[in-house]
Amino acid sequence: MAEYTTVARVEDLEGGEMRAFDVRGAKIAVANVDGAFYAFGDTCTHRGCSLAGGDLEETTVVCPCHGSEFDVRSGAVLRGPAREPVGTYEARVEDGRLEVKG
Amino acid sequence: MSGTFVIVGASLAGGGAAGTLREEGFEGRVILIGAEPLPPYERPPLSKEYLRGEFPFERALVQPPGFYDENGVESRFGVRATRVDVTEKTVELEGGERVAYDRLLIATGSRNRRFPIPGLDLDGVYDLRTVADADGIRAEIAPGRKAVVVGMGFVGSEVAASLRQSGVDVVVVDRNEVPLRRVLGEEVGRVIEGIHRDHGTSMIFEDRVVAFEGAGRVERVTTARGRRLECDFVVVGLGSEPVTDLLAGTGAEIDNGVVVDEHLWTGVEGIYAAGDVANHYHPVFERRIRVEHWQNALGQGPAAARAMLGKGEPYDEVPWFWSDQYEHNLQYAGFHTEWDELIVRGSMDERNFVAFYRKDGRVLAAVAVNRGKDLRRSIPLIEAQEPVDAGRLCDLAVDLRALANGAVGTR
Repeated sequence: MAEYTTVARVEDLEGGEMRAFDVRGAKIAVANVDGAFYAFGDTCTHRGCSLAGGDLEETTVVCPCHGSEFDVRSGAVLRGPAREPVGTYEARVEDGRLEVKG
Repeated sequence: MSGTFVIVGASLAGGGAAGTLREEGFEGRVILIGAEPLPPYERPPLSKEYLRGEFPFERALVQPPGFYDENGVESRFGVRATRVDVTEKTVELEGGERVAYDRLLIATGSRNRRFPIPGLDLDGVYDLRTVADADGIRAEIAPGRKAVVVGMGFVGSEVAASLRQSGVDVVVVDRNEVPLRRVLGEEVGRVIEGIHRDHGTSMIFEDRVVAFEGAGRVERVTTARGRRLECDFVVVGLGSEPVTDLLAGTGAEIDNGVVVDEHLWTGVEGIYAAGDVANHYHPVFERRIRVEHWQNALGQGPAAARAMLGKGEPYDEVPWFWSDQYEHNLQYAGFHTEWDELIVRGSMDERNFVAFYRKDGRVLAAVAVNRGKDLRRSIPLIEAQEPVDAGRLCDLAVDLRALANGAVGTR
């Protein structure tokens, strides 16, 4: 049963920023889109680069290696070369703690 | 719209165009003709993941299996188109069959240059363009075997890296002073050289192969400077040339490929070109360019399909490509053939930089090693073609996106 794990203080991740966290052995990225937090698989499905190392443009994450684009809300591929979506996870803020269910 | 649209070249551009025609609601016949006996596939993995046996061919397919049948695309794979007759509006196939067209897309790509080097036809001497070529090389790969790679352009560099990663002993012979000299210049080439050297690739520069020798099968390579390199197999990567033969006599201008306008139209009624073969007018650079890379073929196939349907818009994507070598990610955006200044942001020594090719104060192109985020942020700068301040380009505290958004023009 997946449980929430605290990954950071909410103030550690500013609007427009992304960071990757190790959550129970999985690399999960969290994006702050204007105060809304979205958690998704950090590993690009194309060639395995860290998506958190790329750019966040509103709700789109751009892979730094080969330019694949994903919707951080759904994990869907918006632009190749990737073809498979990344997974998404639940994220929440509790008492100033940023938590991810993974 | 109805009629018969023929696509010559079952390639990334050709396969993409076929898909776009149907997506756009075209209800006429679509005939996709390809010289290889396979549906369209992407070539970038052939020198990298596929060559190293890391993933299957199916992952390289442009469209899923069954796509062409399901979408009423008549596929003619394994048959070469030899000639276009613009009066009759037909494409002639090898064997003499003629296929009538109302619109025709030339997506024939490029082929490897073959130089008249003695012994080029010996067993064990390969070049790389098709999956069949990659399969041939794959069968040679085994730890401890010795390979000579001839030419250190992108294909040669990537093949050398993949062979080393597979445990093959590699010697490269290149006529220039550094790898990728022609495209990236000497400074960036030195960085690539260092990466290969660190991975144990032997490199011989400013020399060229004059013969492949062996009894039926290659056993050694000899060079102009008298070196004799013993080897088990050879991979030749000496560049490519556009495949334009079938347009001879059609009135289409052939000059470094098929000349087309920004709508990918040749100027000959009903005939368009896309991908490696298309020397296209590019609105950003205000000149014709021909690009032999994945993204160009990916974008131009659909763009040409829309143009064929009368829904075209100028194709103005800034060229971009990547070249993964060992654990390093190289990316390039823009188009340059000459430059008067190379501006480096980051550290070449640490292999973490973007280098900007600047001419008359404008950034024509940029290349990044392990700094892909900045490379992508450079694309709007290249699109703008406005003078950019060199000091700000290399200041790591400056976000390149800010330079593109209005700060341009401050010399």
